Amino acid sequence: MSMPSIYKTLGTSVLMAGMAFGSAAAMAADGPLRGNVRVVIGSTSTGGDTYQNSSIVADALAEHLDINMKVDAVGASSAFRFLDRDPRGNTLMIFHDQSYLGYLYGVEGYEDIFEKYTIGPTVAINPGNAYLVPKDSPYQTLNDVIEAVGNGEEVRVAIQPGGVSEIGFSALKNAIAIEHPGMEDNLVAVNTGSQADKNQQLFDDQADLINGTVQANEQYTRLPEDDQKAMRFLWLTARQDTIEQAPEEGLGQTSREQLLEYVEPNVNVTMGDDNFTFDKEFFFLYNKDMDQAIVDQIDQALSEIYAEGEIQETQKNSFFIPNFKPSDEAVEYLETKMSVYEDIIANIQ
Amino acid sequence: MFDILSLLDITFFLLAALGALVGIIFGAIPGMTATMAVAVCLPLTYALGLNHGLALLLGLYVGGISGGMVPAVLLNIPGTPSSITTTFDGYPMAQKGEGERALRVSVVASVVGGLISAAILFLFAPLLAEFSIKFSYVEKFLIILLALTVIASMSRNMLVGIFSGVLGIWLSLIGTYSISDGGNGKTRLMFDFLEPYLFEGFSLLPVLIGIFGIATILLEAEEGVKSGLAGKNITFGKGGGFSFTIFKGRLTNLVRSSFIGTFVGMLPGVGGSAASVLAYTQEKNLSRDSSEMGKGAPQGLMASESANNALTGGALIPLLSLGIPGDSTTAVLIGAFTLQGIQVGPLFIPENADTWYVMMTALVFANIVMFFLMFYAIKHIAKVVLVPKYILYPIIVMMCVVGAYAINYGIMFDVWTLLIFGVLGYLIQKVGLEVAPLIIGFILGGQAEVYFVKSLESAGSYAIFFTKSPIAVVLWLLIAASVAFSVMMGLKSRARRRLETSS
Amino acid sequence: MESGLSSLLSVSIDFETSHLFFPYIVHWLMGGLFALILVLNVVPFLAAVRRGERTLPILGESMDKFRFFGTLVLIVAYFYLMSVVGNLFPYTGYGFLFVSMVFVFLMSLMYMHTRTRRKVITAAINALVAPSLAWFILAKLFQITLP
Repeated sequence: MSMPSIYKTLGTSVLMAGMAFGSAAAMAADGPLRGNVRVVIGSTSTGGDTYQNSSIVADALAEHLDINMKVDAVGASSAFRFLDRDPRGNTLMIFHDQSYLGYLYGVEGYEDIFEKYTIGPTVAINPGNAYLVPKDSPYQTLNDVIEAVGNGEEVRVAIQPGGVSEIGFSALKNAIAIEHPGMEDNLVAVNTGSQADKNQQLFDDQADLINGTVQANEQYTRLPEDDQKAMRFLWLTARQDTIEQAPEEGLGQTSREQLLEYVEPNVNVTMGDDNFTFDKEFFFLYNKDMDQAIVDQIDQALSEIYAEGEIQETQKNSFFIPNFKPSDEAVEYLETKMSVYEDIIANIQ
Repeated sequence: MFDILSLLDITFFLLAALGALVGIIFGAIPGMTATMAVAVCLPLTYALGLNHGLALLLGLYVGGISGGMVPAVLLNIPGTPSSITTTFDGYPMAQKGEGERALRVSVVASVVGGLISAAILFLFAPLLAEFSIKFSYVEKFLIILLALTVIASMSRNMLVGIFSGVLGIWLSLIGTYSISDGGNGKTRLMFDFLEPYLFEGFSLLPVLIGIFGIATILLEAEEGVKSGLAGKNITFGKGGGFSFTIFKGRLTNLVRSSFIGTFVGMLPGVGGSAASVLAYTQEKNLSRDSSEMGKGAPQGLMASESANNALTGGALIPLLSLGIPGDSTTAVLIGAFTLQGIQVGPLFIPENADTWYVMMTALVFANIVMFFLMFYAIKHIAKVVLVPKYILYPIIVMMCVVGAYAINYGIMFDVWTLLIFGVLGYLIQKVGLEVAPLIIGFILGGQAEVYFVKSLESAGSYAIFFTKSPIAVVLWLLIAASVAFSVMMGLKSRARRRLETSS
Repeated sequence: MESGLSSLLSVSIDFETSHLFFPYIVHWLMGGLFALILVLNVVPFLAAVRRGERTLPILGESMDKFRFFGTLVLIVAYFYLMSVVGNLFPYTGYGFLFVSMVFVFLMSLMYMHTRTRRKVITAAINALVAPSLAWFILAKLFQITLP
């Protein structure tokens, strides 16, 4: 946008001031979803993946339905509360697997979302959940870590407790319990906070393995080995076919092909019969009493948007993998997903 | 180099200037912050493209941080949390009718801080990033502790002041021990029925503007909102009594505070408000004539404002050379990069040299624009105090509401927090507790907890605080010096008071 | 001696209860300081009150009851009604807009000592313009969610 068009925008807005009073509430929308809709998200950050992904989806929906939509980063506990109080459909929520993982890990403020809310469509996956070691670490593969722990060596893993960051750790612990029964307690969680904190644990030699993301840590993996900050990917928790859908050039200087080396089946974390994988998926949550017509309307609108194909490009540009499933499919899919992780968490307790 | 020049068109500079202007306005409205300004303009950067977008956002950042001084000085309400220490000397000056002079001092200090930190960022970013990762939980805790020692030296009665500070820390602990800091996410210090409201505790900004803004209005209401005007006998006219000679002999202060600001900004998680508090502490401890600080001394303004503007360059250091935001505003700034598909991380500067030079240009230019905008607008801004109170106060309450509601993107409890802390602030002053130490305790309490508990969790011994690293030892020496100094000052002033009462 | 010191300094924090560790320390600090203040400051102060040299805060002071409690009542009503009205027009900011107009006007009236026509009209214009401006710029231009 060039300068003159900003003036134009400002000018138009000022002109609209007079009309705005009357018009805002009664926007020209035909469906049951009308007026101003607020999308609350379970994260407080406007720089993070949840916000970015939600605004891509909300913008597309708003344009398609010709309504006002605004994404507000209020955080999980507030977002759930807003949703509880508004059955009219003016408040929607977008969040990811944390919404049920928090419940499974018994974190305060989380309840069973399948019981308490209506699950809406899934929209995208962030394939970046990763585990890294220092570049000069003795562990060359994740299997080295499993073997080392199995041989009684203590391995410390920096994670943020109670959710997405912990699930890979739990699965690893579970795999060790299966392959080397009784040795799983040698895998120790170092509970810490942000990505910065997790990296710091690695730099300080307080952790041997950290949870991270492809997006945030890719550049660290390209530092020379003698750099204290240099890291190496060991494991991406995403499914193989998720990463296969990523842009071929991958992220930064790491190509899709390189990323594929770190996913199942090249890296195995067993759950007994199958191997563990985890995709961080974003989906809608609705108030339980919200009109079914709105649920259908959003499903309908999103299938049209995804049929057009433009949103997929936007999502891929930001390293998200498009993954639209209408709400009835999404519920079933997510419930199955939850039950798998429920078993893992139950096993290692 | 010529490639870069081609990226810098008129639009670029206009956007940086526009950003600085809008930022100043945001910062100047009590309750609106630089972070908010950057957040609301973030979607615009989609359309603007990376370079133009960054120009706008950096302008907003610099302007927003600077604008905070205006309500701090004129109304005793910190416009942004990092201008808290600006109120300590700014408001007393405004009450003496020197509001304009105070603002001019602050503007000059701000631009000095901003430019020094930009220079440091430009010259030493990768080197400093290397240094900043030497600070683990232990060292960060000690930095917070050092900042907390200011409580002892700034209180009127040391015992009461320290108690107020501890009370502030206690208040900051209400809510969950947050998972996002690595805590266990459990709530404490509250009743179960309050959990829906207090789950995340009290938010900093509503607490600040409640305890300063609303409490001031309550105190005025109690007095009957007497005089029609908010300020008395104001010195208007030629520069409001300002001249550059005021900076004579203050160069050390300016440079030291700018360095402290840059340095604290650089440490991820330690946060903006600690910077100005720390700079203020050091000026109080190190300067020879610090006894007037807190009663309206320009040197306090210089320390506070140069440090909080130096934050900008500082907070960009870890962002651009580690991919880690140094404060809440740069955390939003990350969004601008990801929106454009650009990664920030240790290789950002070598791989995006153009963007890097563009950012530096925008940062320096925004600082200069900010200076001229504010320096010449101050004469008019300072007249806010001429607005009759019956017009001014309702508007302040209204803007406080907007700010409190908007800070966490629309939460009504934050508005009630205003009232709760307004009343609390009123009561505190009535029973003789001290507001400034309490607020400093509140600002730093949460971080103190996380760094303290996490240090012990991994080390399993209190000894870690002393044996961790040479940096820790140096910090202990500074803490000891700071405490010893404030005790000495306390004894001296008590002796002086004795002398006065006996004679 | 060496081992005695290190065992004295050693501490083990259970993650499950780590949220209470720091508050525990702060409680002790606060309790200790409070006791000190009670002995050193409060007791002498109360003695002075009894002797009639000092007055109790708040209770013993004169205050403009009308304006003080009026302010409190107005603010409570303002905050409360804002969300009630706002709920009628979800996410439009009308709750803030309309209730602010009333609030700003009433508070202006209350703080005026002499109500001349000119002052009341100024206050009324201000009450209409200020909230509208804030609402327009923030809610419309910048799309900030308002009650």
